[in-house]
Amino acid sequence: MTAISPRRYVDQFRRIFQDPILAISLIVVTVFLLLAVVLPILAMIGESTSPEGRPLFAHYLGTSTYQTIISNTVVMGLVVATVGTALGFLFAYVQVKVKAPFKRFMHIVALIPIISPPFAVATATIVLFGRNGLISKGIFGVRYNIYGLHGLTLVLALSYFTVVYLNLKGMMQALDPALEEAATNLGASKWRIFRTVTVPMLIPGLLSSFLLLFVESIADLGNPLVMGGNYEVLSTRIYISVIGLYDTTAAAVFSVILLVPSLTVFIVQRYWIGRMSVVSVTGKPTGTPQLITNRWVRWPLFGLTMFITLLIILIYATIFIGAFTRVVGVNNDFTLDHFDFVINGYGSAAMTDTTTLAAVATPLAGLLGMLLAFLVVRKEFLGRSALDFAGMLGIAVPGTILGIGFLLVFNNPIQLTLPFGGAEPLTITLIPKLTGGRAILGGALAIVIVYIVRSVPAALRAGVAALTQIDPAIEEASISLGADNARTFRKITLPLIRPAFLSGLIYAFARSMTSLSAIVFLTTPQTKIMTHQILNEVENGRFGNAFAYCVILILIVLVAISILYLTVGSTTGAERTLEGGA
Amino acid sequence: MAGNGNARRDSTGDLRLENLSKIFPEREGQGEVRAVNDVSLTISAGEFVTLLGPSGCGKTTTLRLIAGFELPTSGRILLDGKDISMQPPNKRDMSLVFQSYALFPHMTVFDNIAYGLRTAGMPRAQVQAKVNEALAQMDLEGLGERRPNELSGGQQQRVALARSLVMEPRVLLFDEPLSNLDAKLRVQMRSEIRRLQRRLNITSVYVTHDQIEAMAMSDRIVVMNAGRIEQIGTPQEVYRYPQSRFVADFIGRANFIETRVEAVDGEQVTATVLGRTVHVPMEPLPKVNDPLVAVLRPESLYITDDTAGYPAVIEQTMYLGAETEYIVQAEGQALTVIESGLSALRLFDEGQTVGLSFEDEAIHFLPQTESVAV
Repeated sequence: MTAISPRRYVDQFRRIFQDPILAISLIVVTVFLLLAVVLPILAMIGESTSPEGRPLFAHYLGTSTYQTIISNTVVMGLVVATVGTALGFLFAYVQVKVKAPFKRFMHIVALIPIISPPFAVATATIVLFGRNGLISKGIFGVRYNIYGLHGLTLVLALSYFTVVYLNLKGMMQALDPALEEAATNLGASKWRIFRTVTVPMLIPGLLSSFLLLFVESIADLGNPLVMGGNYEVLSTRIYISVIGLYDTTAAAVFSVILLVPSLTVFIVQRYWIGRMSVVSVTGKPTGTPQLITNRWVRWPLFGLTMFITLLIILIYATIFIGAFTRVVGVNNDFTLDHFDFVINGYGSAAMTDTTTLAAVATPLAGLLGMLLAFLVVRKEFLGRSALDFAGMLGIAVPGTILGIGFLLVFNNPIQLTLPFGGAEPLTITLIPKLTGGRAILGGALAIVIVYIVRSVPAALRAGVAALTQIDPAIEEASISLGADNARTFRKITLPLIRPAFLSGLIYAFARSMTSLSAIVFLTTPQTKIMTHQILNEVENGRFGNAFAYCVILILIVLVAISILYLTVGSTTGAERTLEGGA
Repeated sequence: MAGNGNARRDSTGDLRLENLSKIFPEREGQGEVRAVNDVSLTISAGEFVTLLGPSGCGKTTTLRLIAGFELPTSGRILLDGKDISMQPPNKRDMSLVFQSYALFPHMTVFDNIAYGLRTAGMPRAQVQAKVNEALAQMDLEGLGERRPNELSGGQQQRVALARSLVMEPRVLLFDEPLSNLDAKLRVQMRSEIRRLQRRLNITSVYVTHDQIEAMAMSDRIVVMNAGRIEQIGTPQEVYRYPQSRFVADFIGRANFIETRVEAVDGEQVTATVLGRTVHVPMEPLPKVNDPLVAVLRPESLYITDDTAGYPAVIEQTMYLGAETEYIVQAEGQALTVIESGLSALRLFDEGQTVGLSFEDEAIHFLPQTESVAV
């Protein structure tokens, strides 16, 4: 670094500390990320490199059983990423570039997987295509074995392709039609344009979608547990190590093995693909894109997309109908017992607990995300990009790993013992016991923190994207008029990034309600979580209860989204265009 | 110089920059950029001072240092004798008018103007009165409930100005506020800003790269180049007596004719320019035989068709209506001549041999020290 650098950093912090509220925000955010993200990950790594842990690496990496688990994980990640990216691309391409009917319908159906617990799809798939499946056995008469890589691929791809679809759709819409017009003008056919213009422009988007799906699928816990059968992957191995064998050291070693590909992909995505983007998302397209009307292209693409759309509908219909049916396929009587179980019976505690905790975590995650985005985009200080990185870690790191980290760090109170000369040393509890039995608030605090950590990344990215679109002079104007940073953030920044704030909140709530892997080790008898309960019901074959849970969970998320739309509002107020003449 | 208007406020707003420097790290790499280099400047209360220079000369950084959006690497900023170098921008009694206007897009015009007053905790009724007064003053009556994106560019500019003026700051700062307006509106707004500033007698620092704007508005102009002050002076001083070739070239247009000191007599220097011996005062005095550059503005050169003047050939004639611009070849270099008024009625043909002449007072000498590149 240059000779002036130290001086510069001192200046930057002096500038920040001139404003107490800004300084406190920065400190709070930093301390939170250190304690809730960095420390658990470091503890997990520390545990894996302990004297008991170190020999396990050689053992696991050298034994064929474990080698199979590792290669299973990687293969599943690659296959799901390929299939999911293709699905997302297909939906986006048909939506943006092909003249086809029912586009709106297909769009809405493609969004459904976001708001449902991931293994709802897996459960319904078993009911439809499993050994006693309604379709496999009922229609085709085969006792089909859906368990394994093919079944996993189907449910994971269907569960996660929505994000790819939305990403690619946005990019395709942002593609300047003039580029394709120019290619046409130079004599290129539609197929040639597709190969030489459209796809190359989308390569960064396709690559990052692929990597995202890879990470999501190798981190997924619910689906491999339900659908994996004999196909064992690292996340299920970690789960079994903790829940079945009570061996956190082994779990930590597996976690580190799983962490390597996850973090590698995250870093590649962040520092390499982020820079190669050729599509500018800003600016309005200069023309209307030409839609594909060739019937040999149009109808096969439409047919395939519609087939998948109907498959999604079939799966969710199964969930819905299954919730009202005694045992699907065996005893098809209508019943409300499953709902009675969830709403009035054993399941009601999980329902209220989960909703309450998600409702507590949501505004905190949303605000934290916006605040982080504000600090990262608008302020200059040493460690700014480290802060951004730490903020994103919550999603880059598989949930199971975060959960184990929490167990390792917070299973005992963190205390500071001051040797005050006398016989009785003074002990101050810095952080109380957060996880396990007799944890503070029955472990609820730990779960809320995990919800926040897992939700902040999406809010942060949305906030960063929104903030970079806003002229910094607008905030400077506020400061120049005498407002401090806090008032500027409240009155100017936050209202202007309201759409990002809203999507951050919605994501936070949906993510919290549907997350399993991160909290599966943190639930306690006092704090029950719906996703965990669903898993228990599925594992015990009580699909009806599981479906009822899913239906109620989806309803809660939908209601919450409506409430958020109404209270937060989706516009900044700046959108109102010229009306009534000027 | 200050207080030539009917001062409505106490004459506070004495701004002093002392050896101000700002160093930025280079974007990629290890180097550093001295954006502002040892700038010292005293601006008296009520004065209108313009920072003028090409892009990258450090004028905007200087303004942002004054506003407090950047912290100086070294040097001090004093407002009415008090060191404010390290004060946060919201605590400085200054208000900045932005190039992009930076209106709050989610607020009405009224709320935009009221923003600073409400931040300061002013009672409702008083805010109402003040904002209405500001709206009236800026010709914005009836637009209070509009959003910024429902206004024309000129109206947005007025709102931005009203929003700053209503704060009655000790110092008003302008960052190229007119550069987004079309030419006609720009001329109208610059005289309006100047009129308001005179009436309210608020110390003003105005950044622009438009020399005409600077000449039209300023009490004094600070010409900046590469982070340094090249010259400070009234518009007449910087135009008539530029202290460097850079200033002469940046403010208006200039012909540079190289010559040598023939004699030094008292405060006068004798040299030959376009075949004529002239005696011109100069400071500091050079020595005999030192190289000199004569600065001759295009409008101080005359073209005649008699042979009394210095012989020159018309290379290009451009009839511009109010004036005629010629490029002529003389002494092996191209000179620009602008004829206006009655003399512009007569057009000389391209290729014609003519005589060049000038008034002795129009000559201004510069020492030939700096490199020719500008």
